[in-house]
Amino acid sequence: MTENNQVTLTINGKEVQAEKGTPIIEAARQNGIEIPHFCYHKRLSVPANCRMCLVEIKGAPKPTPSCYTPVMQDMEVHTDSPVAKKAQKGVMELLLINHPLDCPICDQGGMCDLQDMAVGYGSDRSHYQEEKRAVEDKNLGPLIRTVMTRCIHCTRCIRFATEVAGVPEMGATGRGENMKVGTYVEKALESELSGNMIDLCPVGALCSKPYSFTARPWELEHTDSIDTMDGLGSAVRVYHRGGKVMRIDPIENNEINEEWLSDAGRFSYDGLGRNRLTTPMLRKNGKLSECGWPQAFEAIKEAVAKAKPATTMGLAGEQLSAEDLFSFNAFMKQTLKTDNVDARHDGSTVTAGPRAKYVFGGGVQSVDKADLVLLVGSDPRLEAPVLNARIRKNVMNNGLKVLSVGAHSDLTYPVETAENTAQVIEQIAAGEHKFSKLLEKAERPMIIVGAKATLARKDAPQLFHKLHHIADAYGVVTKAWYGFNVLNVSSTRVAALDLEVYPEQKGKDTDGILTALKGGKVDLLVLYGEGNTHIPVADLEGAKTTIFIGTHKSAYAHLADIVLPSATYTEKSALWVNTEGRVQEGKKAVNPPMQAKEDWKIFRALSGELGKALPFDSQQQLRALMIKKAPVLEQVGELVTPTWEKFGVAGKVKNEAFELPIQQFYKTNAIMRASQVMDESQELAEARKAAQQTKKAS
Amino acid sequence: MKKLWQNLRQFLLLDMVAGFAVTLKNFFSPKFTINYPLERTPTSPRFRGEHALRRYPNGEERCIACKLCEAICPAQAIVIEAEAREDGSRRTTRYDIDMVKCIYCGLCEEACPVDAIVEGPNFEFAAEDRKNLLYDKDKLLQNGDEFEIRIAERLMKDAPYR
Amino acid sequence: MELPFIELLTWDNIWALVIIVLKVMAITLPLFGCVAYLTLAERKVIGYMQLRIGPNQVGPKGLGQPLADVVKMMFKEFIIPSDASKVPFIIAPMMVLIPALMAWAVIPFDEGAVLADINLGVLYLLAVSSLGVYGVLIAGWASNSKYPFLGAVRSGAQMVSYEVSMGLTIMTVILLAGSMNLSEIVEAQRGMWYMIPLFPMFIVFIISILAETNRAPFDLPEGEAELVAGFHSEYAGMGFALFFLGEYANMILMSAITAIIFMGGWLPPVSTPLLNAVPGFFWFSLKVAFILFVFLWARATLPRFRYDQLMRLGWKIFLPFTLLWLVVVASSMHIFGLVN
Repeated sequence: MTENNQVTLTINGKEVQAEKGTPIIEAARQNGIEIPHFCYHKRLSVPANCRMCLVEIKGAPKPTPSCYTPVMQDMEVHTDSPVAKKAQKGVMELLLINHPLDCPICDQGGMCDLQDMAVGYGSDRSHYQEEKRAVEDKNLGPLIRTVMTRCIHCTRCIRFATEVAGVPEMGATGRGENMKVGTYVEKALESELSGNMIDLCPVGALCSKPYSFTARPWELEHTDSIDTMDGLGSAVRVYHRGGKVMRIDPIENNEINEEWLSDAGRFSYDGLGRNRLTTPMLRKNGKLSECGWPQAFEAIKEAVAKAKPATTMGLAGEQLSAEDLFSFNAFMKQTLKTDNVDARHDGSTVTAGPRAKYVFGGGVQSVDKADLVLLVGSDPRLEAPVLNARIRKNVMNNGLKVLSVGAHSDLTYPVETAENTAQVIEQIAAGEHKFSKLLEKAERPMIIVGAKATLARKDAPQLFHKLHHIADAYGVVTKAWYGFNVLNVSSTRVAALDLEVYPEQKGKDTDGILTALKGGKVDLLVLYGEGNTHIPVADLEGAKTTIFIGTHKSAYAHLADIVLPSATYTEKSALWVNTEGRVQEGKKAVNPPMQAKEDWKIFRALSGELGKALPFDSQQQLRALMIKKAPVLEQVGELVTPTWEKFGVAGKVKNEAFELPIQQFYKTNAIMRASQVMDESQELAEARKAAQQTKKAS
Repeated sequence: MKKLWQNLRQFLLLDMVAGFAVTLKNFFSPKFTINYPLERTPTSPRFRGEHALRRYPNGEERCIACKLCEAICPAQAIVIEAEAREDGSRRTTRYDIDMVKCIYCGLCEEACPVDAIVEGPNFEFAAEDRKNLLYDKDKLLQNGDEFEIRIAERLMKDAPYR
Repeated sequence: MELPFIELLTWDNIWALVIIVLKVMAITLPLFGCVAYLTLAERKVIGYMQLRIGPNQVGPKGLGQPLADVVKMMFKEFIIPSDASKVPFIIAPMMVLIPALMAWAVIPFDEGAVLADINLGVLYLLAVSSLGVYGVLIAGWASNSKYPFLGAVRSGAQMVSYEVSMGLTIMTVILLAGSMNLSEIVEAQRGMWYMIPLFPMFIVFIISILAETNRAPFDLPEGEAELVAGFHSEYAGMGFALFFLGEYANMILMSAITAIIFMGGWLPPVSTPLLNAVPGFFWFSLKVAFILFVFLWARATLPRFRYDQLMRLGWKIFLPFTLLWLVVVASSMHIFGLVN
């Protein structure tokens, strides 16, 4: 930043420096001076329609909206002069004219901008004597509850839907007193980011429907955690009361989620409390019945005694932290002495080695700087909605060009799509495709590879070899720019690969285990956590004894003989590795329900029972061992750009299409499958899809 | 001289005589005792007795689960759980007052935006068992029904001073 | 074998014995009734002085209260602490009550209405009334507990101290009356009650009997604040009831003595034919009742003394003062030739 970019002005007599073009309100905020506002939001466009941020500028004839006025050299701004105060007071009175006095039944009460501003800048009297206005509520679907009478027309939700979420479905009709905010046509919002409108709404007009009336902000305790519903690892704050999670909100993390959160992460928390496994269970006479930990351990001992290591298999699922995976891996390989372990339940065969082939190495933030994005088998809208919003922001602001090879849904921005076949990659690599020229022209091109659609392919090594070639050929990875990114949907996968939770010698991998199961050659199957829907649950039947260690009473639990209850992501302090390969710590918010235990404790106790205790007694020791195995896990919170090494095997790529990575967005993991809110959302989404198809057909 | 007078007073037991005079005078003065179960002292409209949850005249409970009483309660004697009722209105599913914890300060009554929770005129709710003093929503609503006339009268009398 | 004293067993003697037993009953039984109602009177008087109304629920105006109390006391368990010396523990309450009753033998209720009109009545009274302290000491010791023990020690020291000034006060009366027979002392007051010439002695005597009966403001042996209930902390039921009876019987006895030696016993206040027609027992009762009222009045008015103040009052003020007054009385009698 050069000197020329800075201007000096005074706010309330205090001399401050600010970058040219900054709005006054932002300059004031950076210097600790608060200017009341409703419509202004730093991540949205500036309409200046609430008029709450009026300030007095020396020389200006009237109070000026500070959100719309950029700073200028030697400007003299007053936010607390009589003129400014009178303006604020007047605006506040006008805003309150039609705002109902229903704070006691409003969920926003206690965290309401209007409440705070009214106390801080308003008057306790009103001149208004006439009838107040009432507005009919809109139906915005199962996630957002509307009380439109409370709306103060700040239009933040409209701007969010249009600018960030890319679903221009909301708008204002009428003017003056008759202005109404809503969807033009009565319908639920078609966005995976709709929950963020609740955060944006400065009043209680848009509230969380599942949270309705259940708690008050002042009685909630909160714990900062990491969202595990997708691979991004968005920063969230878990609000809980009396051991129950009541609400999950995003917190600001510019490097990953800005301040947005997908609906899956925000609304799936009711799945944390529904259908949980709370005690160990044993199958007796064909039915699972509850028992104590000692009985369950005893049964496991017997089963292990009967099984040979070669016929003992283990599969790990989703939403497992690094600690969980490490202790599971150690338990299988050291205590049960088997190499038949795999956490890659989608059947991919990628192993550790160059990290570049399975992480989003450039970091989410690098999307802002890219000038061309090539999506390969990736649908960011479903795989990582927040990332999609980021791409969209760049498309809107800087005209980022997006190319795609593979199936994808409506990404909310223009995409140039090539034929959906892997052969296109070969053509691009050979410089024969129309995308080649575009890639060549781009200064900072970026490739986003959808892990699910590519890594599980049988020809993944060949495909990645080609992609490596493209990256080298078109300057996707240079000294100054790292643009080769693999987008994982799972919050578990990167850690699983870093920690080598797969057969290290000659053990069976996922495919091998499934084949063995079909052949009835498995004595003991340890299912840890639930996978997503890649493997039909029916395929997991066939073992003599099946142990399931998980959180929910799902189909997995039903096929097991011994069930051990473990903890969900809000119930343990753990390290999570997101798709960027960034290690983040999620804190424990509440205790696991009833007899359920934190996962690593289960494995440690079980290993002791089986006579081969794992070498850690505390989480510190566990983490130390884990970091010894994968030193990259030590750098908590930091983005480690992977070294650019050779990967892949030269060869022909099969002429196969890339599958759509996610079929059911609201049902991707155990917690979401248990959630009623997610059920409703999924139903709605499917109904919408069906309607679209019939429309197309006609 | 003063000292002499003091000693004389002491010697002649004049202080004692004065004391005896006081008790004798009281012996003949009217007594304050109220024969409690038979007679009662009048209570102020602001008297803070047993809690009650009131209803609207149409039978709808007033409480809207805003939890302000729970928040203000200095003894943390109130526990409220709420969710949307079938008709979509905000209602409590649980409203408990621990009458043993309660210090009868009346802040819940003052915090209530709809005059739902009130401290009624009744003070005769001693119980033989502690668990009988853990009031739930049913008990509180029942109190409200029982004392509604008196509560309403008291609130009306106190209204001008609020 | 011939029984000794068999010759005494004549019909006349047996008849005389029966008469005496009946006379004793005639004194003690009403006395118990008086004690019972004295407790009610105490609660009522103190209540009134504290602007309360006292017990009023049992019977009309609460008159049934003492009966209820008696029934309650009788049916309560008599608890003997495991570490107590059992025999003394049981005997002690009786040792308090019996001397308090024995003294009544020499009290004249009316002219000639006296069980034993002995010449050394005053001496007998002093002797018997000081026996009560043994019961208290035994009770305190036998309870084998610190509070009763301390209470008993206090009680012993207190009674001994105030008996000195009490004795000296009575001496002045004996000097004036020239007799130790109580009936004669009463008769000697026909002209003027002794409380008028001996007013300071009367006051000293009143204060002394408060201390002697362990009543407020000198109820240190049972000071609740520091000693729970003093020497009878460990007693319950009838044991406690006996102490109670003893204390109140003692109060009535002391009031009777005061009435006799200072206030002219059964004599009417002024000797007029009309008043003389009223039976002497009425005047006597009235005077006893007044002194008892003073007992209760004092309790309602005065706070408890500190123990050192109590001792100072007894030894450093009353003793020299009564001695001095004894000399004054004796010498004035000598000077004015009143010696008979």
